[in-house]
Formats: sequence, C-alpha cells, structure tokens
Amino acid sequence: MTLLQVEHLGTAYGPVTVNRDVSLTVGQNEIVTILGPNGAGKSTLLRAISGLLKPRSGSIRFDDRDVTNTPADRAVGLGIIMVPEGRKIFADMTVRENLRLGAYARKDRDAVEEDVKLMESYFEILAQKRGAKGGELSGGQQQMLAIARGLMARPRILLLDEPSLGLSPKLVKDLRAVIMDVKKTFASAVLLVEQNAGLALTVAERGYLLHNGRIVASGPISELRDDRLMRDLYLGNTPQGH
Amino acid sequence: MDIFLQQLINSLSVASVTILIGMGITLIFGLAGIVNFAHGEFLMVGGMVTWLLVMAGVNFFIAMFGAMAAVGVLGYVAERTLFRFTLNRPMNGFIMSIGLSVILQNVVIKALNEVQKSIPDPIAKVWVIGGVDIIAMRAIVVAITVVVVAITYFGITRSRYGVALRASVSDQDTAALMGIPVRRYVTGVFIYGSVLAGLGGALMIALFPITPFTGSVVIIRGFAVSLIGGLGNVGGAVVGGLVLGLVDALSAQYGYPQWTDAYSLVVMIVILILRPQGLLGGTLGPRAT
Repeated sequence: MTLLQVEHLGTAYGPVTVNRDVSLTVGQNEIVTILGPNGAGKSTLLRAISGLLKPRSGSIRFDDRDVTNTPADRAVGLGIIMVPEGRKIFADMTVRENLRLGAYARKDRDAVEEDVKLMESYFEILAQKRGAKGGELSGGQQQMLAIARGLMARPRILLLDEPSLGLSPKLVKDLRAVIMDVKKTFASAVLLVEQNAGLALTVAERGYLLHNGRIVASGPISELRDDRLMRDLYLGNTPQGH
Repeated sequence: MDIFLQQLINSLSVASVTILIGMGITLIFGLAGIVNFAHGEFLMVGGMVTWLLVMAGVNFFIAMFGAMAAVGVLGYVAERTLFRFTLNRPMNGFIMSIGLSVILQNVVIKALNEVQKSIPDPIAKVWVIGGVDIIAMRAIVVAITVVVVAITYFGITRSRYGVALRASVSDQDTAALMGIPVRRYVTGVFIYGSVLAGLGGALMIALFPITPFTGSVVIIRGFAVSLIGGLGNVGGAVVGGLVLGLVDALSAQYGYPQWTDAYSLVVMIVILILRPQGLLGGTLGPRAT
C-alpha cells in the first residue's frame, strides 16, 4: 500500500529552480532510496516532503491526505519525520534532552519515558552518554542520536538525509543494521537520500536516481544497479550531463 | 553602615524594576530576535493602567494583575500585527518599534495628560529589622521580583516548553522537525516579556510617580541590563540589574547622584568592551540555517 505519494513536484529557492516534475512513491514499511550526485536536488526534495520548504508545483500525499503545504511542525504529528543532513543535534543540550525533544509532538508523555529507555537499550552509546552535551559526541555517535531522536517521534516514515556522510566504513556497516531495524523493529518506512551509493544499494528495496533536479531512472535496486546512467554517475565511468 | 544597608535595600527595590524590564528585553531580543524599543512604553502603559484601576478603587495587587493582562494583550496585538512581519528583518522591526513608542506616548498623553501620576502607598508600613528601617512595599517589590525571576529561570531551563524554546532559538528548522511550532513560541515569548513590562510598570508606580515619558528613561537601562548580562540569559538580566542597582546605591551614597545614569552607562560600555557577549554570555537570537 502506498504511504507517500509525490506527484509532479517542483521546488525552487527564490528564482532558482531545483526540482522539476519529480514523482515517486514509498510503500508502507518499505525502504526506498533517492540517489544522486552532489547538487542533484536531493536535500531540497526532502525539505519539501518534510514541510520545511513549500513546493512550487505538484502535490504530496501522505496516507491519503494532502500534505503539500503542511508545515514541518504539523507534518511531524502525522508521522513524517526527517533526520536532517549534518545530524543537527542540539549541541548545548544533553543526549536525553535531545531524545525527549524528538517526542515533542507526542501526547502520551508516559510512553515517551519508556521510549527513552528503549532507545538507550537499543543504542548503548546513548545510555553511556545520556548526561553528555550533544556537541561532545563524535560524528558517528551524533548520527545514532539523530536517528534515535527521529524514532522518538514514532515515525511512519523516516526521511534520512545523507546519514553516511563522514562516517567510517565500520560505522556505515552499523548504520546499515540500524536502518534495517527501523523497518523491522520500529515498523517505519524509510526514504533514504544518499550521495554514496554503497550504503543505499545494499539496504534499499527500490530506488530513484536524481540528476539535475529530475528523476532520470527508477526501479528495484537489482535493476537500478545495472542501469547505464547509474553506472555513468556512480561506478567510475565519466559522469555525463555536466 | 545602617544608612548604607537602607540605601542598599532601597536600591534593590529599584533594581527589581530594572531587572523585570531587562528580563523582558533579554527574552524578546535574545530569544524571539525582536528589538522592541517600545518596551519602555509597555512598562509605562502598565503603570498607567495600574493608576487608572487604583483611582477607580481597585486594590493595588488586583490592579497589578490587570496591568499585566492589559500589557500582555498589547504585546499580543503588537506581535501579530507588526513584529511578525519584520521577523526576518530585525532592523526594520527596531525602527518600527521606535515609531510605536512615540505613538504609545502620545496616545497616553491624549487619553490622560502629561502630568505625573502616583498612587497612595499600597502598604504604608515600615519594618524595623536589626536597626534597619525597611519600607514594607519596597521589600514586597523585591520579593515579587525574586519569585518571578525564579519562575522564569526554571521555566526556561527545566520545563519542556523551555527546552523547546531553547531548541527553537538555536536552530529553527531542526526545531520544526521535532514538531515544535516555532512561530507560536516567538509569539509566546513576546507576550511573556510584555507581561513582565506590565508588572514592572505596576511595581514602579507603587514606588514613584510616573509620567507618559517614563518609558524612554527606563528603556535605556533595560537594554543596558540585558546587554551587561548577556542577551537571552535570565540570570544575566538579574546580574545586570544588580550591577546597575549597586552602581546606583554607591553613587547615591558616595558619589554624585546626579551622575547615576552616566555611571551606569559607563559600566555597560566597559563591560561590553571587555566581554562583548555579556557577563554570563548570551545568544544572538534565533537563526535559520
């Protein structure tokens, strides 16, 4: 069943058009990736879906509800949760305060405290560092905190913007396991935006290739991996279109 | 020594009013990112509302709540109809607020007149503690301020709303991604700061007469207090208010009292040169990323 449906979406910053005619879907409990080189418009697309940026044209439907112009703070209440690029941990606040902020929109305050403990048992490092300031954590620890903070909102879809950026190969492996568990244990769909194809191609079920703001290829990962454009853009051949 | 102690307690009560106005400015400027130069007039309006109510026979302490409510409503209207449209251009908001301060002054002059207003002492007792005469109303002003400071401080550092507010200040977009309605927090902070100005006005008229021009005098001290302590920092506003209060007390006792305002501003300038972020450190207002 389709959970998120983006149709003919266009975005712009002022006079600068970023995305054109982007259509994509994410099913309930599905892991979908959007791949594309730097500057392809991936982050802008996620900002529009999360409600941080008003789209210029097109529509976004979530769970059969029109959310095209729903601002981010209300989209959170519907279960659309974004983990932004660069983690964006609140550096002056403790790990626990960061986790609780993730649950700001929830009404079930008692269950929130249980979820804090759940996150601390799932991400051990967050239990060890619970009193530390967010800014004192390493990049990998911050990424885990950012995802845990996102999960605190009990997402129905988790939008991950470049989570592997700046992580060591070992941490990327850990991240892969976490993303699988977001689907399995936490029963949320995942829309994963990545510049680095390595993580995305092994974790996602389906993918879209974004280039110059448009979708240029899409399909199941097994097909996408062999796509000619995909090879041109990612797998060592000379990039085209520049 | 006794005279010094009395002077100190008197100064503390004056410092209390300064702390209240400085705290309002520091919250509105440091957390909502709005420079409201009409904040002094908000305080003056609070004093005038208190005067009107007391003259109509209302008990002072009830009139005080009336002033807080009236100035809170004034703040709400000002934020929704004016400052909301200049959030991304704080300089425009600042210039607009100067206009607002002139308008408020003249509206009050038109509605009442220019003559100074005072009310009878709400509590005309003097307590003698250890040989020191303490004017009861002054002690009550200090006590009310201590309570308000404590509520504000714990509200910002401990409560869920305070944490969400600080998150909104440090990163608007990420705060919105947590589901925090950032705009509503800006409005809320503006109203809260305005209510503090209303309270400051009520307490001020309990101590001295005020005129429609009182606001333009207190606004300078209010900004001095918030800058000395560090913008957005409640503790900073208290420290800033106490520093100015101490300067007042010392200059009244040992210096030339007519130079009090000059001393205060010199202290502010020296502190800002040595510590531009204020004594306790502050924010630069909400930032978009």
